[in-house]
Amino acid sequence: MSIQIQELHKAFGANEVLRGFSAEAAEGETLCILGGSGSGKSVTIKHVVGLLRPDRGDVVVDGESVVGMSQEGLYELRRKVGYVFQFAALFDSMTVTENVGLGLRRIRGTTEDEIRQRVEECLAMVELEGLGDRLPSELSGGQRKRAGIARAIATQPSYILYDEPTTGLDPITRAVIDRLINRLKKELGVTGLVITHDMESAFRVADRMAMLYEGTARFFGTPDEARSTDDPVVRAFIDGRPELLEGVT
Amino acid sequence: MPGSLLAPFSAIGRGGIKVAAGFGSWGRFMGSAGRSLRHVDVWARLLLGQMARIGVDSVPIALFIATFTGIVLALQASYTFTGAVPLYFVGVLVGKTMMLELGPVLTGLALSGRVGANISAELGTMRVTEQIDALETMAYPPMAYLVVPRVLAGTIMFPAVTLLAIAVGIVAGWITSLQLLDMTTPQFMMGLTLFFLPFDVTFAVIKATSFGFMVTSIGCLYGFQTMGGAEGVGKSTTRAVVVSSMVILVLDAFWAVLLL
Repeated sequence: MSIQIQELHKAFGANEVLRGFSAEAAEGETLCILGGSGSGKSVTIKHVVGLLRPDRGDVVVDGESVVGMSQEGLYELRRKVGYVFQFAALFDSMTVTENVGLGLRRIRGTTEDEIRQRVEECLAMVELEGLGDRLPSELSGGQRKRAGIARAIATQPSYILYDEPTTGLDPITRAVIDRLINRLKKELGVTGLVITHDMESAFRVADRMAMLYEGTARFFGTPDEARSTDDPVVRAFIDGRPELLEGVT
Repeated sequence: MPGSLLAPFSAIGRGGIKVAAGFGSWGRFMGSAGRSLRHVDVWARLLLGQMARIGVDSVPIALFIATFTGIVLALQASYTFTGAVPLYFVGVLVGKTMMLELGPVLTGLALSGRVGANISAELGTMRVTEQIDALETMAYPPMAYLVVPRVLAGTIMFPAVTLLAIAVGIVAGWITSLQLLDMTTPQFMMGLTLFFLPFDVTFAVIKATSFGFMVTSIGCLYGFQTMGGAEGVGKSTTRAVVVSSMVILVLDAFWAVLLL
């Protein structure tokens, strides 16, 4: 149950976003992909579930090449993956309960009772009990993120992809989300991929880190290795010191 | 030849290429929607809801337009025919015009504004807020979930709303004839039935069905192609309404040439 990102290349017109990015999340591990805004983190994560097709390279999930998958194969893969979007991407016209239960309705043979019970479990897991009847517009930013996580875990996925799960949240809500990510890893044993530029959060949840810089992996290692690296690009990012980038190639 | 003289030809060429590209992307989009028809389990349960939204909710605006069209038709017919043609021809003109032209076209144009804009704005917003990507990640084919039920609902409901609008327009013309033109019901009915052919209704249904298919599919296409934020949604919505209104007028002429 691993995710291997292999030499990923992706360009949009003349804009070459990924230039051979590689990283790997082993089974049960959380890999954080770090990088500045516009560095291609979201583009990378979209390749994992086939929302984007690479120009070159591949993503291998559970030993299977995503690039080589048919549309049906991709749907099979997506049933095993939970995806938490940056702005939650909840369906505006549906209540929180309907949002969380939507993925379960795609699983044949699931009864209404089972869906209701599972939705309640998921909402309890993200501490949103009692808010199931609300529309997304009636939730705060942190609650929306947590509802997005509840929707992602509803189908009991083997993998969870988090796209900037803590961006734009206050420090306490960030810590709550990070605790939730760690709890899900521990309780559900999922392999996680978190993309973020929030270093505090990254150090709390990551087993391994990859830094995306100019389309390639500038760094790949454990959080301890990241803390002790003397690569000025990584240091500048971790410490928030842009002056270290002067003269770097 | 100086560049300024070539400019109009270049503009026409660019316009032609744009139209051809538009046809191409619509064709590919509808091909993909057609292939999604096999996901009956996804779209079938959404169809009734879309039929209510697209059809039933559009009835008030369609009837409003039809009522005033019927009134004006009766009055203009009377004004045109006075002294030259028997007054019962008011019934002919109201009936024929409502069935063959104004009923389908005005309803189509009104619904292209209401339904086409609504679909494009809704799907465009879903595109820019990653809701369509979210559907994909939950293994829902977006074409089957979003496009198929809307296009089928539009194709089924446009003719139904149009027939209702035609009926109401004719009734409005009849009441106007009684109240303002001193005509009698037998006179109006005589005119209404004089040149009536069952094909008139078939013609209206064919036109309205094609309008429903095009308005909803164009709305879906522009919604799916939306890029950027609120500005992108606004642009898609405007384009959907403009293009579907133009397509309605082109189809109107096409069916007239082909079937009349």
